Amino acid sequence: MLTTKLAASAALITLLSGTSALAASDKDIEALRAEIQNMKKAYEGRIDELESKLNKVEKSQTKALAPAPATPATARRDVKDNSFNPSIGVILNGQYSQFSADEGEIAGFAVGHEGERPREGFAADHTELNFSANVDDKFFGSTTAAIAQHEGETEIELEEAYIQTLPGSGLPDGMSVKAGRAFWTMGYLNEHHSHTDDFADRPLPYRVYLNQAFNDDGAEVSYVLPTELYSEIGAGVFRGDDFPFGEGDGSGVGAWSAFARVGGDIGNNQSWRLGAYALSGEANSRVSNEDVVSFIGDTDIYAADVRYTWAPTGNARAQEVILQAEYFWRDEDGVYEDTDAATGAVNFDDSSTGWYAQAVYKFDPQWRVGVRYSQLNAPDVPAGLVGSALDSGGHDPKAYSAMLDWTNSEFSRVRLQYNREQLAGGQDDDQFMLQYIMSLGAHGAHKY
Amino acid sequence: MKQFLGLLVAGLLYAAPLTAQAKVNIFACEPEWAALAREIGADKVTTFAATHAKQDPHYIRARPSLIAKTRRADLLICSGAGLEVGWLPILLQKAGADVQPGSAGYLMASKFVPILEKPAVVDRSMGDVHPDGNPHVHLNPHNLLLIAKELTKRLQSIDTSNAGFYSNQLQSFTSRWQQAIAAWEKQASSLKGTPVVVHHKAFSYLLDWLQLKQVASLEPKPGIPPTTSHLESLLQQLKAKPADVIIRSPYEPDDAGEWLSEKTGTPALVLPYTIGGDAESNDLFALFDRSIKLLKEVLHDQ
Repeated sequence: MLTTKLAASAALITLLSGTSALAASDKDIEALRAEIQNMKKAYEGRIDELESKLNKVEKSQTKALAPAPATPATARRDVKDNSFNPSIGVILNGQYSQFSADEGEIAGFAVGHEGERPREGFAADHTELNFSANVDDKFFGSTTAAIAQHEGETEIELEEAYIQTLPGSGLPDGMSVKAGRAFWTMGYLNEHHSHTDDFADRPLPYRVYLNQAFNDDGAEVSYVLPTELYSEIGAGVFRGDDFPFGEGDGSGVGAWSAFARVGGDIGNNQSWRLGAYALSGEANSRVSNEDVVSFIGDTDIYAADVRYTWAPTGNARAQEVILQAEYFWRDEDGVYEDTDAATGAVNFDDSSTGWYAQAVYKFDPQWRVGVRYSQLNAPDVPAGLVGSALDSGGHDPKAYSAMLDWTNSEFSRVRLQYNREQLAGGQDDDQFMLQYIMSLGAHGAHKY
Repeated sequence: MKQFLGLLVAGLLYAAPLTAQAKVNIFACEPEWAALAREIGADKVTTFAATHAKQDPHYIRARPSLIAKTRRADLLICSGAGLEVGWLPILLQKAGADVQPGSAGYLMASKFVPILEKPAVVDRSMGDVHPDGNPHVHLNPHNLLLIAKELTKRLQSIDTSNAGFYSNQLQSFTSRWQQAIAAWEKQASSLKGTPVVVHHKAFSYLLDWLQLKQVASLEPKPGIPPTTSHLESLLQQLKAKPADVIIRSPYEPDDAGEWLSEKTGTPALVLPYTIGGDAESNDLFALFDRSIKLLKEVLHDQ
């Protein structure tokens, strides 16, 4: 391109100088030369400009021809819905049980159906399904449904469905409100899901006094005090529908609770927690013992719990000792009736106590052994209830348990347990249980 | 009642000047972060470490004492990336608004450094994998500079009156730390390429920094304790292609490493891993001094 341009200017120069050289003076020739030089410069500048423009166009063309970077499929399809899905967790809980006694009655007590002896043989009991997520900046929500078998029917039980205020929701620091249906704060085990328990079944006081767990509909407020030592207080109000209450009349509050807890560390490797609890309410009708026994009246429960953990090597993953005990005192004032024994309505005003103590030792990161003893002290029987399900016959129910469990990972555990239950006079029951607990998906952090 | 009110007023008057000069309460999930907070905060902060060197930070109970400490904390500093997922959420539930995720008082170290071993796919059959990558970020000293910078920013926004003090502290720490890094890198240059067996992937950042080669781990999968069959296969692997050292942290059990060491003649070594991991590792400088010294001793003795 440049050569053609030069050749053209050269030809022009020769032509011009050839024709006008004769007539023009030297001065004119100078002026002409300068003009030509200017023209040459201007053309060269333009040509340069054009060339660079062409280059740019060529470059951008090659760019356009190069294969476009692949866009990931997810970027093209908007799947934002998924990122706001709640955490989903499933607990698979299966058990094989064998009992030596035909009956598993608990003498002297009215027992709800959750508190009864579990089914013998295979049972994929208590598969739990949990959904939870932060609702927004102020609330957390969670719901847990348990799928269980009862009398040949598969039941879906709403174990929990609650909302809870998040820190920073405007309440004072350390304060939280929970509302809906939940495993309320009452003793140690009540607020824990059974899959976190150290034994395959709940101890006697839980089976008899709380029908495994108290999860009425209601609300609870708790406050962690800003103290050096851990201390927390709280209180709740409930509908009064769940055992140990029943058929709250739906107008107003049927039951209330209060609790206080303290806890701390001893040195680097030991910690403890102590708690005191009260739960009080009214039952318009609480049916138990396979719908045979009914109670109408007031129930007050006072409980205390203690838990102590010690990691001998410092590392709780490798070795750990856990000691735990709870004590319950229950007072009932109302009317009992056992339709099977045709007692009619009998006035009842008496108290009973129950407790358990357990020790679990993790001697290897994957293996633990544990022993537990639990006992109930039956109340005296009023004359009208002699011979009924509430007649203990002077026997105080007791149960001895021993377990061995293997934890493959945080998400799976297999447990073998032996119970010797003496729950009624002359009813010694040797029980073997083999249980697995597996967790799929999201699995929240565990409480102390 | 009047007496009580009088006491209350007196108490408030007494408490007021205290809050004015109160120190920043720092809750560190692991001892290394407490040490870093002391480097930057010095006497303007009080630090509390939730765990000690003998504890596996993956498996900590959300103990009552920790609830009380987080409740009073102004700043939380942790490794993050899922290391504390088994216990920190419980503590946060009962903690104050100022240390919740998203606020200046919530600092997860792994958010501010390049993360190693981030899995493309996660499935629980792969063991206790962290979807967010390897959380043991403090063992690369370059990371600590990045985190120190972020920590300084956070302290300045929480405790504005001492902002100048914190920048001076950061400046002093940075220059001392950069010098130390240069010295460590020189000392450890002879270690490059050394094949190493680890117990858990707790040392990935140290190995990556010093360019040591991790050839195997005693855990068959992250978080799953060593099994006999896995150890047997490691034995065969090491017989064919020996490693120079088997390393573990003070909280990991010794049996598997010792067994393999005995069978292969490869020395087993406990590295301090964090502050207090051995008698000498009392601060961050000593931690790296010791780690490199121990590695050099065991590797050059052979």
